[in-house]
Amino acid sequence: MSKMCNDTMAAGTRRTRAVAGILLYLALGQSAFAHSGSAAAIGLESGFTHPITGLDHLVAMVAVGLWGAQLGNPAIWTLPITFPLVMALGGLLGVAGVDVPLTEQIVALSGIALGVLIALRARPPLWVAALIVGIFAIFHGYAHGRELPQAADPLSYGVGFVVATGLLHLCGIVLGLFIRWPLGERAVRACGAGIGCVGAYFFLAALGAIP
Amino acid sequence: MRVPVGGLALALALLGMPSVAHAHLVNTRLGGFYDGMLHPLTGFEDALPWLALAILAAFQGAQRARWLLLTFPLGLLAGGGIWELMPGLSFVPALSVALIAIVGLAVATAIVLPLPITLALGAIVGLVHGYLNAQAMTETTDHLLFISGVTAVGYVTITLTIACAIAFLQAKGSWQAIALRASGSWIAAIGIMALGLQFFAPAI
Repeated sequence: MSKMCNDTMAAGTRRTRAVAGILLYLALGQSAFAHSGSAAAIGLESGFTHPITGLDHLVAMVAVGLWGAQLGNPAIWTLPITFPLVMALGGLLGVAGVDVPLTEQIVALSGIALGVLIALRARPPLWVAALIVGIFAIFHGYAHGRELPQAADPLSYGVGFVVATGLLHLCGIVLGLFIRWPLGERAVRACGAGIGCVGAYFFLAALGAIP
Repeated sequence: MRVPVGGLALALALLGMPSVAHAHLVNTRLGGFYDGMLHPLTGFEDALPWLALAILAAFQGAQRARWLLLTFPLGLLAGGGIWELMPGLSFVPALSVALIAIVGLAVATAIVLPLPITLALGAIVGLVHGYLNAQAMTETTDHLLFISGVTAVGYVTITLTIACAIAFLQAKGSWQAIALRASGSWIAAIGIMALGLQFFAPAI
């Protein structure tokens, strides 16, 4: 009986020491890194993942590249070059804290519109295509810009999300190159329809029709 | 109840231990020259406009780009010297961010500038970045070695990047210039948004 009691007490003491050790470790101060990598890396990571983790942003970015490839030269490079610049202007509105209404709805609408244009293989004049993409770019930029001032390192955040956006355009362009083959062209149009469906889902969600 | 005084004292001593805060890699014990070389490489503030400047120089052609190998490092050196004389110029950080947008836009449009403007742009970027990098020096830093390190890494970076960009542009195919222009539009977009942060209060 006495041996059992001693064993129980010893186990209790070990647990107390272990808990005390863990608490002490957690309470120990860590070095603060302002510029030597950590803040920049966190900002870069959060910026890079922002357009990728949001499916509504992702499909719209890919759609810009796809539509550019479908429209051919010079839209294939004009749209992806124009998009980041106009997006930056939208980002400025977000940084400035300007209240732009219906952002989520229009971001979702961009997926629907671009998806439908790809699915229908629409070929408007270049300036019309640039205008459509530019208007949507403002709202996408605004959504990113709202988060910019809260980033650990705003410049790194900006680098991350612009590079991610550019790479998504590039994905769209590479996928769009399949239009050289009849089957590929059908596949690209099917991608457009899929993008439109994703956009419709997010549009309904933004309206509150889907919980 | 038995209080473990020794353990408690050890715990308090560990909690009270000071920890170093690393703002920039200026005290890496690598020496002032190497600290100066490393400092511009620790963030995007320097890398972005330097990259854009090198691509812009490549668009001007090899003959004109060569002059930038002289003016840009000299600008860095002079910028460090200006900081020694006037360390409190408040407009320099905003100008630095504006230069990211300006040089990025110039790359996105693949504009061919007159030689004096190209050289002036290179010198201004050098001056601004020499000045801003010099701000990281502490009392214990050897100022001459640090600024020399910044100048050296600036020279090496701009030389290698211009060479790579020219070789890339001269390769077979028509997409290289478009790719470089797209990178310019990315840099300009980053610069425009960062410039917005300089002027607008955070929207939190």
